[in-house]
Amino acid sequence: MLLRKIFALVFSVHLLVSFGCGSKNAGGTPEAQGASLAFVSNGVADFWTIAGQGAMKAGEELGVKVTVVMPNGMTDQTRKMEDLLTRGIDGIAISPINSINQIDILNKAAAESILITHDSDAPESDRVMYIGMDNYIAGLMCGELVRKALPEGGEVMILIGRADQDNSSRRRQGCIDAILGREPDSSRNDPLGDPMTSEDGKFTVLGTLTDQFDRAKGKANAEDALTRHPNIAAFVGLFTYNPPLAMEALRGAGKLGEVKVIAFDEDEISLQGIIDGTVTGTVVQDPYAYGYESICVLNELYKKNNSVIPENKFIDIPARVIDSSNVEEFWADLKKKTGR
Amino acid sequence: MTGKEPGADSLLSRISQKLRAGGKVYGILGLLIMICVYTAASTDRFLLSGNIENLVHRTALFGILSIGAAFVIITGGIDLSIGSVVCLVGVLLPFLLTKHDWTVPAAVGAILMISLVIGLVHGLLVTKLRLQPFVVTLCGLLFYRGLARGITNDQSQGFGSGFQELRLIAKGRIPILGDAEGAFQLPATTLVLIVLAIVAAVFLNKTIYGRYLLALGNNPEAARYSGINTDRMVLLAYAICSMLAGVGGMLFVLDINAAQPSDFGNFYELYAIAAAVLGGCSLRGGEGSIIGVVIGSAVMVVLSNTINLVHPNYQNVEFAIIGAVILSGAVVDELVRRWLSARRAGMKVG
Repeated sequence: MLLRKIFALVFSVHLLVSFGCGSKNAGGTPEAQGASLAFVSNGVADFWTIAGQGAMKAGEELGVKVTVVMPNGMTDQTRKMEDLLTRGIDGIAISPINSINQIDILNKAAAESILITHDSDAPESDRVMYIGMDNYIAGLMCGELVRKALPEGGEVMILIGRADQDNSSRRRQGCIDAILGREPDSSRNDPLGDPMTSEDGKFTVLGTLTDQFDRAKGKANAEDALTRHPNIAAFVGLFTYNPPLAMEALRGAGKLGEVKVIAFDEDEISLQGIIDGTVTGTVVQDPYAYGYESICVLNELYKKNNSVIPENKFIDIPARVIDSSNVEEFWADLKKKTGR
Repeated sequence: MTGKEPGADSLLSRISQKLRAGGKVYGILGLLIMICVYTAASTDRFLLSGNIENLVHRTALFGILSIGAAFVIITGGIDLSIGSVVCLVGVLLPFLLTKHDWTVPAAVGAILMISLVIGLVHGLLVTKLRLQPFVVTLCGLLFYRGLARGITNDQSQGFGSGFQELRLIAKGRIPILGDAEGAFQLPATTLVLIVLAIVAAVFLNKTIYGRYLLALGNNPEAARYSGINTDRMVLLAYAICSMLAGVGGMLFVLDINAAQPSDFGNFYELYAIAAAVLGGCSLRGGEGSIIGVVIGSAVMVVLSNTINLVHPNYQNVEFAIIGAVILSGAVVDELVRRWLSARRAGMKVG
């Protein structure tokens, strides 16, 4: 419970890029009635709170009305989309929970409104474009951090919220491929449970544990992994809240610092861990930019300015590695941008 | 009955009973109308035919679950496993059809069988072992979700772009008012609900078994001593509940197209119970009306829609709003009932 409270209080993050939409309508005069746009997440998390702030900020600058929607699960996401369309929303940016099976509602949204995806793509749908990062490459970056943390190799356990979203499965696969030293190939999809060992025998990926956004379950996963695998050498936490939970579990077992933690995203506890030396490093996305860029792009598309659509229909907001060499600078900047 | 004027007395008590049951239905209907009027006044999008279709459709899905819940509640029991049965069924249907290439009748038949067995097991544990329904179905809640996650290895199960004909049962729209652009089309799920609701209402009110169920809920001891096989009736109630959860679960997954084992159907038992209670079922048993339960489901569905359409920035307090509205409905209902019975008592004395 306390942990949850900490999570609720802790941090909101803006990142390094300095933003600006193509055409600003500074002030957003009320008589110039702007578009009504929606930013839909794939769950409720601090990550999405930050993204939502980016979306609201863009809305404020452009003088458009922005609704941030954080659904609970796929059924709720579909229902909320239907209701957004009923409201006559002008554009939707969504991170689909299960794009292949949500194709109907995505295409309905694309037909009745303007649909773009962010964070997790739905390439098979009629969405106009995708804003986000290549999660496979970000996963590779994360896997490289694991290799750096364990020069002698060892057993690695992966912790993740969900493994069946496009973004998380690619991120996880990239991480596994880098740890095992394979040739990058984003079309692989290794099963969750089976241990896999690298060709040189140095690294073993014990498996992937999912918690479905349930923090208590996430911590229990890490604790149970420690119990079951006494020789575990590193935890990789692939969703924002996973690394702090792994750290909690390690602290409880008296193994914090001994077992390496490799993080993803920029939870303050993870960043403090990098400073303290208990976390090797983290790969950061840019949720604020997801929100901000999504609204900017939707507004341009609403104004029929299709020049914002790149040829590959993908606006890359690349990931970065944060480790002991740049964490203080990164965090200071983060605090400045969030005013904390 | 006092014995003095048996005919008149029983007629009086029957009329007052009818009024009481009806009163609850009118109460909940009033609440629904109030919410609809408020929403329609707040946004012109609410009454769009597309939105009405959505609402009728969602009410049908939740209504089916709620009717099942009502049967168990009427006997004085509770079923907390509904959401997990929805989940199990929701992942099993696409799992069997797409991963194991079962035929549609085989998969649907197997799933209905599983739902039936689940209900019978609940009923047997409650009647033969005398376990508390809360405990039995709470364990069911955990067990079926765990099973669903285990069977599927936690992976979402979906139909992808296949099974479009089968999905028409849940997604189909029937152009009852002609096929002009924007004309209201009746969601196919509504037909399922209507059929199930009529069968349930006739069963509950017009057959001897329905009377037994109500009698059992009112006073199990008395029901047993008057020769009703109460165990069989309880068994029947749990079987109906799980079967309807199974039917509802299949319709949900056919509608949504995929189910995530971890969160599909989460909390649906509580929606179903809330709808049943809103619709006039007493958790003490012995009371309930099917139409009330369906209207109760509609209240929950419309409230959520109201928040999405009128107050989209308050979505994070959706549960709080729904909880508050239901609670105030229950409080007003109770106060009105007390006021009425006080007046009746006063009239008798006078």
